[in-house]
Amino acid sequence: MSPSDFSQPQKQSPIGVLVMFFYTLQQYLRALWPMLVIWVFKFDEINKLYLALGTIALIVLIGVVSYLKYLNFTFFLDEENEEFIITEGILNKTKTTIQLNKIQQVNINQSLIQKFVGVYALDVDTAGSSKKEGSIKAISHNLALELKARLLENERKPIAAGPESEQSIVAEASPEEHPFIKISFLTLLKVGITSNYLRSFGLLLLFVSTIYENLSNFTEDDLLENQNFDEYNYFDGTAIFKGILILVTFLFLIVLIINLVRVVFKYFDYKIAKQKGSLLLSFGLLNTKSTIIKPEKVQITTVTRNYFQKKMDILEIKIKQATSGEPEEKKSAIEIPGCSESERDQILKLLFKSIPEKGAMLKPNFRKLVFSIFTTIVLPLSLYLAFAEWMEPEAFEFIYLIPIYVIFVGLILCFSFRNYRLFVSDNFIIKQHGAWDIENEIIEPGKIQAITISQLFWHKKADIGSIILHTAGGNVAFQLGDFTRIKNYVNLWLYEIETSDSNWM
Amino acid sequence: MENFTNTTIDTTQLPRFEEVKFSKLHPDYWKVILINTATMFVIFGIAAGFLFYFNEEIAAAQIYAALGFLILIVLTLVFSRIGFKKRGFAFREHDVLFQSGVIATKTIVIPYNRVQHVALHEGVTSRYYGLAKVEIFTAGGSSSDIEIPGIEKGQAENIKQLLMGKIQKQL
Repeated sequence: MSPSDFSQPQKQSPIGVLVMFFYTLQQYLRALWPMLVIWVFKFDEINKLYLALGTIALIVLIGVVSYLKYLNFTFFLDEENEEFIITEGILNKTKTTIQLNKIQQVNINQSLIQKFVGVYALDVDTAGSSKKEGSIKAISHNLALELKARLLENERKPIAAGPESEQSIVAEASPEEHPFIKISFLTLLKVGITSNYLRSFGLLLLFVSTIYENLSNFTEDDLLENQNFDEYNYFDGTAIFKGILILVTFLFLIVLIINLVRVVFKYFDYKIAKQKGSLLLSFGLLNTKSTIIKPEKVQITTVTRNYFQKKMDILEIKIKQATSGEPEEKKSAIEIPGCSESERDQILKLLFKSIPEKGAMLKPNFRKLVFSIFTTIVLPLSLYLAFAEWMEPEAFEFIYLIPIYVIFVGLILCFSFRNYRLFVSDNFIIKQHGAWDIENEIIEPGKIQAITISQLFWHKKADIGSIILHTAGGNVAFQLGDFTRIKNYVNLWLYEIETSDSNWM
Repeated sequence: MENFTNTTIDTTQLPRFEEVKFSKLHPDYWKVILINTATMFVIFGIAAGFLFYFNEEIAAAQIYAALGFLILIVLTLVFSRIGFKKRGFAFREHDVLFQSGVIATKTIVIPYNRVQHVALHEGVTSRYYGLAKVEIFTAGGSSSDIEIPGIEKGQAENIKQLLMGKIQKQL
């Protein structure tokens, strides 16, 4: 087959109008489904003629729209500038230009509709964001393969010259070779009893509430409530108190056990090995997972530790990489549970070549504390009181819970305010936050993609403002800090990014 | 290695992003905003009008509804105007800046060597006035993308060419 000419603007396969038709239909149906529901329910009342005419008109309209979409969609390769250009839109026109060497992946897919019509979809993916940057909905298989080859052929050169030739993050190589860190069963037990209380508690709550709901759905009158009511008559106050105490202990134990089991199952036999400067991880009890971490792809490294874990000398490391793989891979961070401090330093040294030091400290303004007290204590309490006062006086029965709530939430807020810090040194930016689990998010200035700085107009006088550092692995934000200093750092970081061609992935 | 120097940089002498002069959006873009807002309110108003006309139960409240509608229009216009006035963009030698925001002033900075791809978008109304929107994407997700509306078509093409040239130089 002769090589096709992609240098002229091309339309999709003519049969693609059909694909467009189905996609547009789908789109319209999604937008109009409330009306459809009404139609279905009032089917007998509606004039059948109007309904038929309306349906035909809609189908004709969609047909015309999809034909126009087809006419207005073109793509071509600009060989001279090494660009791939897609033009689309009937009334609102968009012209997307992607440089060939930025293309990470070209995927050829086929959905059910496309299979039916016998065409393929071609998606062009660049680094970072999870959405597809360019997408051709209907293209023949041969043409798709050819275009893919052409798109990637230009991209190969810089990649082949670079240190990495392999793209996938899942490595087949076994990390058995020389694991330099092994996480023992005992450490996993320690991790299990000291972390993720909230997550396990949430799971438990979900589980119990589902059961409760099912029970009350199946029995005519509320079974559990009746039981409770009966028990009230048999027990006096102290017994109820004891009961609550037992219940709380019981809940706590269940949470602990769930945590333990989860951690052991997930991270059993955790091994970390070095291979050509990368980290190879393998873990899991039932199915062993293997993952590779390339230092140059690491975007955000988070070190988490709470009070108990500090006493036991364990901590958790989470690593977010820039990947060009599947969307679910992009979101998930790689976790290393239960390292000791020295092991942490070894890992960080491998990732960053030096141990990140905490540099100059930025504190948040006291207004941050005031604001969070307002949103989490003052506002909900006034809502509750107003609700109890004017709508449901029975709600006053729970008024004794207010001091407990205020103390508990107040403590959390105070601790999070105290731990909320941004440390800036020459090579690292570290954001520390958290009330109980204290997290340290470490990024290198070179990994920054863009910087957002914002300031509310009434904060101008106080000279405070916020900053968001965007990386390919997520954002790191710091709110209400000294704005002059923040601006100075921004200027410095921009200078560093713009004067070096540091490889951010 | 022989050309390698590592002199200390004087951080106070660095170019300051906060002193950059921002270019305003094209004055015609305000008309685009007005037309788009008007279209939206007309559609919304017709729908509300039908509702009040056919539903007699709520017909009594139509004065309040009309008043609320009016206030909503005025508020939207005021905020759009402030928002329009506050938006500005700047292209420096090494990065692009975009400023926006009514209550909070927000500035996004994208260094050219972090730009992934660029798109030109023309809305119906904008096209009538010969305006286009330049969209600049990075790998940092949608919150770090810059969209500069209200630029003359020719200038927008130039900006796109400039950006594409700047990206390529980095490799």
